Amino acid sequence: MPFPLHLSPEETLRELTELNRKVATGIDNLSRLREEDLQVGVTPKEEVYREDNVVLYRYTPMVERPFPIPVLIVYALVNRPYMVDLQEDRSLVRNLLKLGIDVYLIDWGYPSRGDCWLTLDDYINGYLNNCVDNVRARHGLDRINLLGICQGGTFSLCYAALYQEKVKNLITMVAPVDFQVKDGLLNLWVGCSPGSPGMDVDLLVNALGNIPGEFMNFGFLLMKPFELGLRKYLDLIEILDDDKKLLNFLRMEKWIFDSPDQAGEAYRQFMKDFYQGNKLIKGEVKIGGKPVDLREVRVPVLNVYAEQDHLVPPASSVALVRYVGSADYTVKAFPVGHIGMYVSGKVQQDLPPTIANWLKERP
Amino acid sequence: MRLSEQAEDLAKALTEAQKKMWESWFDLMRAAPVSLPLSPPVADQWREMALQGLKTWTAESEQVVKDVAERLATTQDVVMRFLDLSVSAWKAMAPQIESGEDWQTWAKNYADHLRQQFLQFPQGATQAAQDTDELQRLYLEEWQKLVQPWVESLRRVPWQVGQAATGDGSAGIKLTNLYWDAYERTFGRLLESPSLGHTRELTQDLLKGFDAWVDSRRAILEYQSGLAEAWAEALEQFVRKLVSLAEKGEKIQSLVQLLNLWIDVIEGVFTTRFRSEEYIEKQSRLVNTVMAYRLIEREIVEAFLKTSHLPSRSEVDEAYRRIYELRREVKELKKSLRDLKAELSDQSKKGSHAAQSNGPPPDSHSKDHPHD
Repeated sequence: MPFPLHLSPEETLRELTELNRKVATGIDNLSRLREEDLQVGVTPKEEVYREDNVVLYRYTPMVERPFPIPVLIVYALVNRPYMVDLQEDRSLVRNLLKLGIDVYLIDWGYPSRGDCWLTLDDYINGYLNNCVDNVRARHGLDRINLLGICQGGTFSLCYAALYQEKVKNLITMVAPVDFQVKDGLLNLWVGCSPGSPGMDVDLLVNALGNIPGEFMNFGFLLMKPFELGLRKYLDLIEILDDDKKLLNFLRMEKWIFDSPDQAGEAYRQFMKDFYQGNKLIKGEVKIGGKPVDLREVRVPVLNVYAEQDHLVPPASSVALVRYVGSADYTVKAFPVGHIGMYVSGKVQQDLPPTIANWLKERP
Repeated sequence: MRLSEQAEDLAKALTEAQKKMWESWFDLMRAAPVSLPLSPPVADQWREMALQGLKTWTAESEQVVKDVAERLATTQDVVMRFLDLSVSAWKAMAPQIESGEDWQTWAKNYADHLRQQFLQFPQGATQAAQDTDELQRLYLEEWQKLVQPWVESLRRVPWQVGQAATGDGSAGIKLTNLYWDAYERTFGRLLESPSLGHTRELTQDLLKGFDAWVDSRRAILEYQSGLAEAWAEALEQFVRKLVSLAEKGEKIQSLVQLLNLWIDVIEGVFTTRFRSEEYIEKQSRLVNTVMAYRLIEREIVEAFLKTSHLPSRSEVDEAYRRIYELRREVKELKKSLRDLKAELSDQSKKGSHAAQSNGPPPDSHSKDHPHD
């Protein structure tokens, strides 16, 4: 059998020299970049409501007469919401605005140690409900549209079940619903299968107070350690001399490592009730003492998921159809991963019109 | 060319590449905006020096640039180390193959050898973890590290305060003595005789702390041992992959190709292992035991703080809790007030509407009217 390695010393030396040259030049280029080169969330917006750390923004409409029912984007507590407006040519928000949608967004902020007692009741019955009321009052509407993303999608489902008189249409995007799915590594680690070993969430929260963003991020990166820790940077070496690609990479990198701490009590309930107990689909979740029954979600629902999502497995999202009470339910898949939903060029062509058209058909 | 000669040439190429890497880093850092405390260019120190240089080079950059530059340097280091390992393996393998030995068998043996090396440390450490005296010593060493910064701050702060406030050094010295007394009565005594704590509770906490620390240490070792197994398995799989490529007549002709193959294999092995019940149990145990230790550690630290008249984490958290509850209460009261005002306003509108329908009441200009 022939030996499979045919690395010629000359070629290897050339490769290594080239690699070293690129890294050195690349770091030199990197060091010349300044803050203004790496701006994120640049679509014009104004603050319309603030409560504690939470800020509600309204994006400046881009058409003269926007669609009369605005959309409120509810992002996850994990990571920052500017992912939906990362840069001018990779912005779900901007694309929705161009299609005539009036867009609002909740920024949950960075919880400090003093916020460790915040519960899901505070987030859903408090901040989210107040933001919805604010948007309703500004537009003189009884009901508005909700677009919940990832954990924000789960929150939006709870909200729509509790306050459907305030919700016109609901869009969930890469939102976990069934937490006991076998293909989710995160679900396995947290201990979602009955009887399986898992994290002692009480111990974690009692010991740490707030859950550090770095801890969360480490867990996400550990799911693909060599892809995300090594290959990504090997690939980066190849684009170091391409300004546009380099800036794209850096903005994404900025978002990935911009992880707010998680308010301890809210984290405790989300992990125990939603992940470990899978109580959402069992109708056993209570938010501030109010039971959440997904059958009460009777408004039209558009459920969007990513086929290659390793954080929220497709099975977790598509399960919604079995539990939601809505007679008008639409599901739409995109052939990308979790992050690709926000930044893939192809998705950014297809997703905004999918959302805008679906909403306009349900005035 | 014979395989051994090829391996020798490749090793020379690697040395040359390392030299070039040094030169490029040296050039980069020479151009840095401020002078760098460069160490002599010794190969083993290159990474440390590179990271040190990076910090200066990107001092004024945004955090993400600093982080990415560091990750790039790490990637470069990993590539060099990977090639170093590959060349060593090749050099060791070449004579065997040339003497007619089957290279696949040799590669398997080499993988086994590395596997033993990977596993040696965690196993040895696990055995050491059975020795209670040794563990007790390590535990106290860690506590010493934990408490030391407090001791330092207690020593320094009063002196500086004294000087700044009065310009009189002697006042500072007196204060320092006071603090030293406090130290002797608290930290010092505890450190010197850990078994003679101030209170029975503290002694119990320290003992509980020791048990929790041993648990967490064992869990860390078990976890490391699990990862070492995964590394060894990845190596075996890599060799298998090379064999299967050879069987298909496919060749690896570039370093990047080899590296990508390695990443494919190792990622697959780790991902599979990460899903196993054995791994999940080890990871959960690691997190749970470390957190349990952290909780007890806090109790002990809080006992120190109490004796030093300083607020503890729990007390601050309790204050936060009270603020949080009050904040909620204020919000609820404000909401009730708003609702009440709205209700009164509605009633008033309805009342005035009804009054208008029935004609003005005789005392409509009374000063008791809510709108007046």
